[in-house]
Amino acid sequence: MFAAAVISVGLAALSLMSTNSSPLVDITGTITSPLKSAYTAVATWFNDMQRYYKDTAALEEENAQLKQRIAEMEEKVRQAEEALEENAQFRKLLNLTEQRRDLSDLEIATVTEHSVTNWTSSLTLNKGTSLGIEVGDCVIDETGALVGVISQAGLNWSTVLTLVDTDTSLGAQVFRTKDLGVAQGDFSLMEQKRLRLDYLPANSQLLSGDLVVTSGLGEYYPSGLVIGSIEELQMDDSGAASYAILVPKVDFDALTEVFVIKSFEIVT
Amino acid sequence: MIARNETIFKWLLYALAAAFCILLQGSVFQRLTVWGVIPFIYPLLAAIPASYEGPLQGTIFSLCTGIVCDLLLPSPIPCLCTLIFPLAGLSAALLSQSFLPAGILCSFIACAVSFLLLDSFRCLLLWMAGNAAWRAGSFIMLREFCVTSPLVIPVTFLFRAVYRRTHLDG
Repeated sequence: MFAAAVISVGLAALSLMSTNSSPLVDITGTITSPLKSAYTAVATWFNDMQRYYKDTAALEEENAQLKQRIAEMEEKVRQAEEALEENAQFRKLLNLTEQRRDLSDLEIATVTEHSVTNWTSSLTLNKGTSLGIEVGDCVIDETGALVGVISQAGLNWSTVLTLVDTDTSLGAQVFRTKDLGVAQGDFSLMEQKRLRLDYLPANSQLLSGDLVVTSGLGEYYPSGLVIGSIEELQMDDSGAASYAILVPKVDFDALTEVFVIKSFEIVT
Repeated sequence: MIARNETIFKWLLYALAAAFCILLQGSVFQRLTVWGVIPFIYPLLAAIPASYEGPLQGTIFSLCTGIVCDLLLPSPIPCLCTLIFPLAGLSAALLSQSFLPAGILCSFIACAVSFLLLDSFRCLLLWMAGNAAWRAGSFIMLREFCVTSPLVIPVTFLFRAVYRRTHLDG
């Protein structure tokens, strides 16, 4: 009892003399401090792990939502691109129908294949009889220049013989002089993407660069479609008649989209 | 019955090999231009199988190839290849039976004959249409053959494999 009282008084005296914590508290704190640190570290790690799993789950959910949104937006972009493309096609069509009011019924078609043999100059289109395309229909580009004439037509395809093919022959007129002739493909010129203008009047005064258009005679084809321009004049083998070599306005190799004239009004 | 099944199997293999070549022509060669011309594999299909199969069967196979070719390609008359390919097949078969055994060299010569027949006939048609172009036509024929001739080797190997597979006893 006495010892306890002495110790208590001693400790009280030490506490009064000490400026910091009491020695007993200090000793206790010193001993428990590493344990507290360890406990805190474990608790922090546990909390971090909990947060990590919580965050991961939230991120995964967010990621899935974002992926879904990206997919939806990509779909919208695709639709917008298609709409833009279609819009551009319709603008071209509108522009063309405004320029040529006699071309009452046009069908846009995509070129799916260029010449398939070395002996013909042809294009294959992705539209056919199901959309009213028929053999003999004229095909033009977006500027209104003549590409060729439909030679075969199936349900969802058609073949165009271009202007330079040997089987192509159509009435033509020199725009400046109004001279009439026949523009036809020539095998010797086909590779250079040229064609002939034959049966010209004897007194024709043609110049290089003269524009040649369809005459529309016979009413098989619309009049005024640009065929090309005169490159040079030559005499035929007999030396009795001259013919002109024409450069088509259309670059057949670069064509991706064309317009098929399904019907037209005859301009008198 | 077994012989009939073997015959069906043989011609089925030939048809598949030809279909593979036609697919290559449409998907690859038709989109290539070398020396200003497109490689043209159809005359090879008329000549090479016939050099292995003999005059009768070879000619019939070439006739069928000609019909397929006419259905797939535009031409000045609707039956150009149907008319010419049997002749090309017969020539190839006679060549392999009389002068050269079927193989690479025989295929080269048979294909040259096939191109000569086909393109000469095209020139003749152009001439008949009043659009004579013998020189331009000959030049196209020459380039067509030169550009296509490297394909003679793989096509010969293909049809030789079919021939060996279907003539195991030979």
